[in-house]
Amino acid sequence: MTELSDLQFALLVTLPVLLFLLVIVVFPLGYAFWLSFHSTRFVDGARYSFCGFDNYIAAWQSPGFWNAVAVSLHFAMVSTVFTLGIGLMIALILARIGRGRGFIFSLAFLPWAISDYATGVIFRYVLGGRSSIFTTLSYLFGFNTRVNLLAEGIVIEGLALGFAWHLAPLVAFFLLAGIRTIPVRLYDLAELDHCGPWSKFRYVTLPYIRYSLFVFTTISCVFALKTFELVYLQTGGGPGIASATLTYFIYKESILHLNLGYGAAISLYLLLLFVALSLFLYVVWGRKEV
Amino acid sequence: MLRRACLWAMVALVILWTAFPLYWFLKLAFDVPAGAAVFPPPFYPTKPTVASLATALGFRYVDKDGQVYLPSGLARQVRIGLLNSFILALSVTLITMPVVTLLAYTFGRLEFRHKNKLIMAVLLVVALPPISIIIPFYMLFLHLGLVGKLGGLILVTLTVTIPLLTWMLIGFFRNLPRVEALARIDGLSRMRTLITIIIPMAKVGLAVGSMICFLTAWNEFTFAHILVTGTPATTLPPVISGFLFMSPQPTQLAATVLYSLIPPFLLAYWLQRYITTMNITEPIVR
Repeated sequence: MTELSDLQFALLVTLPVLLFLLVIVVFPLGYAFWLSFHSTRFVDGARYSFCGFDNYIAAWQSPGFWNAVAVSLHFAMVSTVFTLGIGLMIALILARIGRGRGFIFSLAFLPWAISDYATGVIFRYVLGGRSSIFTTLSYLFGFNTRVNLLAEGIVIEGLALGFAWHLAPLVAFFLLAGIRTIPVRLYDLAELDHCGPWSKFRYVTLPYIRYSLFVFTTISCVFALKTFELVYLQTGGGPGIASATLTYFIYKESILHLNLGYGAAISLYLLLLFVALSLFLYVVWGRKEV
Repeated sequence: MLRRACLWAMVALVILWTAFPLYWFLKLAFDVPAGAAVFPPPFYPTKPTVASLATALGFRYVDKDGQVYLPSGLARQVRIGLLNSFILALSVTLITMPVVTLLAYTFGRLEFRHKNKLIMAVLLVVALPPISIIIPFYMLFLHLGLVGKLGGLILVTLTVTIPLLTWMLIGFFRNLPRVEALARIDGLSRMRTLITIIIPMAKVGLAVGSMICFLTAWNEFTFAHILVTGTPATTLPPVISGFLFMSPQPTQLAATVLYSLIPPFLLAYWLQRYITTMNITEPIVR
């Protein structure tokens, strides 16, 4: 039997899969690209007519679109800060208790295994005014007001709490794995140098987890821009349009209003935003870490 | 001593942060419908009962006071939803794992031209929001008669799991010991090396991968919401949003969510132990 070269072997095993990827990447993106240059009307089935850049221009001039961009970026930023901050805290705390406590570790990890939509439903009840824990507390202590963390002005931070609850465990466990590779004698040396807890974190722990922090910042930003069910189930984009992220805006235009071309054009803007944001993070931060 | 107390206080805080939201919502599943309407919301179920757990699945429940709880109107959907979600998650996992094993092995351990570009294509799909690619699939499935069919949903879900698991397993395969050359010297072909040497070495990673794959399919909402809501092919997630929006029944909603949380509860222990074998933080493109 003749031997295959690496490339031939790679082609052989991946060709069917590449075809599949072609179907799942190129087909939907190509179709969305085609749709974005057409307007649709639904009389006797769908009618498409070519309309050039109209959809892109319409989106560019629409206040709803710019609101969605602002909401999405705001949400991505707050979510990432919460996720990384809470993830780091969980990691630092879990690093100090032994490995033997499987129950605590399992519980701490559980939220990541729970779906986005269940997280949305749960946090709708935990944070929403009528049923929120903060309402109960306010009545318990005699303030007697409803506390709604999903109200105008604070809704994005409220949503970000749910997002962080779901994603922070993943971040925590990877940071924890990094922290466990740090030789204990480095901490002993730091002790000799009379380093306080902050200096120990800054000069001993941080260098070992900086790269992971960068990767998870990127992952968190991308997932936050991508999430739909969290917003859909928790606030439905409201109150008003205060939490209408780009994904929710696309859902509203494409699925509810059936403006397929317009929705597709906004999807492509969103794709651009992904690429731009990842590149930005890489240039200002990631380049130094690799 | 003070430091230990301080540490355990912080551990308690972690547990509170994780468990309290779950508790606050799931306590509704063990309350009577009237209890869910009490204001301000109480810390405990007002009248602990498993009535909603039964009615959500379509059983009539009579408590010891003779109070009758009728089966919920969405119970049929919940039952087929549970079954369909299980079939979906299992089929998707069985199809995904062989495919991603080959893909991740190839990307992780072989060198060939254009490799990085192909990996970038995979990563791009991981980043794509389902909501922007659902319309093309919806149109395609309309032509193929796959809307409202479980088979169609399985196909679409594969577009999520295959890129995701490939991404997660590339780093895992790359970090396995380099033994292929030795196996090749012993005269094994590439395929045999993969099957008899590499895959047994990789079984932990593949097991964790299968669990993540199963959960991803089990948890998938957006595609299911648009493709199968209200049809006999419905999975559990759209049924849950039905409970939330169409017939707001907090206790039955909580009971249904509780059922949907069974796989995450069962898998969390193994996942927390082995999740970091996935190396997703390592630079993938080199």
